[in-house]
Amino acid sequence: MTTSRYRESALAAMRRRTLLKYSVAAIVAAGWAGGFTSAMAQSVDLSKWSPEYIRSIAGTETFDTAGTCGKVVPNDYAGKVSYWYTGPFEADPVIAHEQDAAFWEAFKKTYPNIETDVQSITYNELLDKFRTSLLGNAAPMVIRLQILGGVEFAAKGYLEPLKPEDVGYTTADFWPGALKSVTWDGVGYGIPTNNETMGFIWNAKIFADAGLDPEKPPATWDDVVAYSKQIHDKLGISGYGLVAKQNAGNTPFRFMPTIWAYGGGALDEASENPTYEKAQLNSEGTKAALQAIYDMYVRDGSVPTSALTNTQAENQAPFIGGQLAMMIAHPAEYARMLDLASKATGADKEVADAVVENMRYGLIPEGPARRAVVFGGSNIHVVKAEYVEGGVVDEQAVKALICMWTSPEWSTKLAWVGSNPGNLGGFKTEWMKERLDTIKFLDVTTSMLPSGIPFPVLPYAPEIMNIIVPDMMQNVLTGTMTVDEAAEDAAAKVDALSSGGI
Amino acid sequence: MSSGQAIFTDGPGTAPRRPGLFSRMWKQRADYLYVLPAIIVMLIVIGYPIYYTIDLSFSRTPTTLKLSDKTFVGLQNYVAILTSPNFWKVTWQTLVWTVLSTIFAFGLGLGAALSLHREFAGRAFMRGLLLIPWVISAVAASYVWKWLYHSDFGAIGALMVQIGVTDEPINFIDNTRTSLYALIVVNVWKEFSFAMIMLMAGLQTVPESLLRAAQVDGANAWQRFWHVTWPHLSGVSMVTILLLVVQNFNSFIIPFVMTGGGPAGSTHIWITHIYEIAFQRQNWGAGAAYAVILFILMMILGIFYVRALTRGDATRAGT
Repeated sequence: MTTSRYRESALAAMRRRTLLKYSVAAIVAAGWAGGFTSAMAQSVDLSKWSPEYIRSIAGTETFDTAGTCGKVVPNDYAGKVSYWYTGPFEADPVIAHEQDAAFWEAFKKTYPNIETDVQSITYNELLDKFRTSLLGNAAPMVIRLQILGGVEFAAKGYLEPLKPEDVGYTTADFWPGALKSVTWDGVGYGIPTNNETMGFIWNAKIFADAGLDPEKPPATWDDVVAYSKQIHDKLGISGYGLVAKQNAGNTPFRFMPTIWAYGGGALDEASENPTYEKAQLNSEGTKAALQAIYDMYVRDGSVPTSALTNTQAENQAPFIGGQLAMMIAHPAEYARMLDLASKATGADKEVADAVVENMRYGLIPEGPARRAVVFGGSNIHVVKAEYVEGGVVDEQAVKALICMWTSPEWSTKLAWVGSNPGNLGGFKTEWMKERLDTIKFLDVTTSMLPSGIPFPVLPYAPEIMNIIVPDMMQNVLTGTMTVDEAAEDAAAKVDALSSGGI
Repeated sequence: MSSGQAIFTDGPGTAPRRPGLFSRMWKQRADYLYVLPAIIVMLIVIGYPIYYTIDLSFSRTPTTLKLSDKTFVGLQNYVAILTSPNFWKVTWQTLVWTVLSTIFAFGLGLGAALSLHREFAGRAFMRGLLLIPWVISAVAASYVWKWLYHSDFGAIGALMVQIGVTDEPINFIDNTRTSLYALIVVNVWKEFSFAMIMLMAGLQTVPESLLRAAQVDGANAWQRFWHVTWPHLSGVSMVTILLLVVQNFNSFIIPFVMTGGGPAGSTHIWITHIYEIAFQRQNWGAGAAYAVILFILMMILGIFYVRALTRGDATRAGT
């Protein structure tokens, strides 16, 4: 056999092994995830999930965090743990700082003999700093990463297997989708700390002025297209806040729900048992979603022309200025709008206050296939000893920290402002009740959680979501390609990627 | 006489035999010792990354993204890149970006330098004012221009509508036909001050007596510029143009911040594309191959740059 033939053969074998590995991983993960809903009893009844149900269970149970974690790791254990995470920074509300400080105080009280070495690193710096520290064997023992951040490191072999049972909880205590996001090659490598989904916001006054029911959001994505056109035709302003910038996380977070609603996907991540084997970007569902945004951007001109260079942040100004009627938004968007209104002056202030007054939150519209939203959040992971500073992981101290952090109490308190407890027990706590009473629309965005779909659990998922999907959108919206061409082009790129092509 | 014979044998005008390279190096060993620390640092921070990039360019990144599992693929990355229509599209955009940016930045810089070289009231203020684009942060400038160009609420678009030039705001950066040129305008605005400073320094070398003599001889302004000023500026112009070309080939901030390479890849130039391939798609092999191609091109430009610089030295030394 010639060298090149040998290489080709070896590469092909490697691709087959990779494919097999992904398939096994996906089947195990899917079985695991699917099993939650059918065989295992969740801590809460997910079938009843709605704003009313969320309110009804809040404050109905108390939890003894110190006692629970004391059964996992004795409270008098003496040791050391190092931890990196994105904690509250200057721009975060005071309560986030207070809860963070309270956690460390509580940890010290519960485990007075465990020494902590903690670093709070900004969201944008954390991944790069972690990658660098791993190369220099100077990583922390424990790290918290955004929802799909861990897959890359699990695939590279840097993380220790970790499941809820290791720290005294059960898999039924966490969202199935969240656990799917920490599963690589059939093994769990982390525990969810917090999970959130986005909602749909609209300006009721603009709806009324355009002749729409001000209290009724679009029920389907077809409605969004129609409403957007009606608003633009009648009022001359943008209807829907489309976001289609390349290399921006906002774009897939706002377009994938449309694709999934129409029955498409990047791969088969929206299905009950995903295998991540074949690209779905050329499916009829994806094409229908592309056609919907084409209709809004090109045919009707009813969305901002700047959508191709906009991130969500650039949609906030026109929304608070009454120039944009509806968009997908994070739970914290209301607080952001309040903040913007408080900074406005003169005539702008009047407009901004009116917008806040008329701001409504609802469920993200559904499509022919389903109602869908991206399942977001963060997970906590344990690093293998050989990559940790000093070469040692203090297992007991690590477990103590993770048990406390992922407890119903602290997973609620530490996600106070913009997220939700990763531990489902958190929804029953008095702190959840307090949050629902003080954070407007939290019940609506939280009620989207069962519709949450995680991005494909693959190391190269960021490339699909941040590059290939936005490219596909831009190819359609700029007329560079037709809907069919753009969809086929994107699917071919995903398939090439999963087979190891460049 | 042996010495006389030796002189006769070598013949008149024959240069004495130069000592060997190692002999000369040994004689100048102190000089080499002085630069040794810098060379060691360069080998570590420049030499090794270059070696590693070249090594990476012959490998394929595995689907797990684990670099220790990379496989040797020979020239496959280079072949894939050079046969990709995207490569030629990005290369063409890079050439358009570089050539137009360089021409206009140099032209504007030359005009500004000539204007500021003359005495007039407020010259110092104008000089400071024109330096502003160069001294402010490229990231901040990009964000400001992004809002000026904004397709829905941009100041330029609003002004155009207000003065009746257009009915609707012009779509500068969300349009594949205009986006690259819109970004070139920003780049020219940002870097023409650099050309201005370089050429102002060059203008100091033009002898005032020659200009006055030409004026006495009846030469008009254009003739004085073309026959007296320009020949004195040719050296600094060459250096300025080469530096602008290198700078523009290596541009990143303006296209990355303003459009991220979009829409539909219409503002991708080499560096933004390499960044996307390597750091956002984590395809280290292909990204490295792109970088090596760019490196070779930069080295060729570097040779021209060094030649331009040393030609000036040689001229001054009269050799």
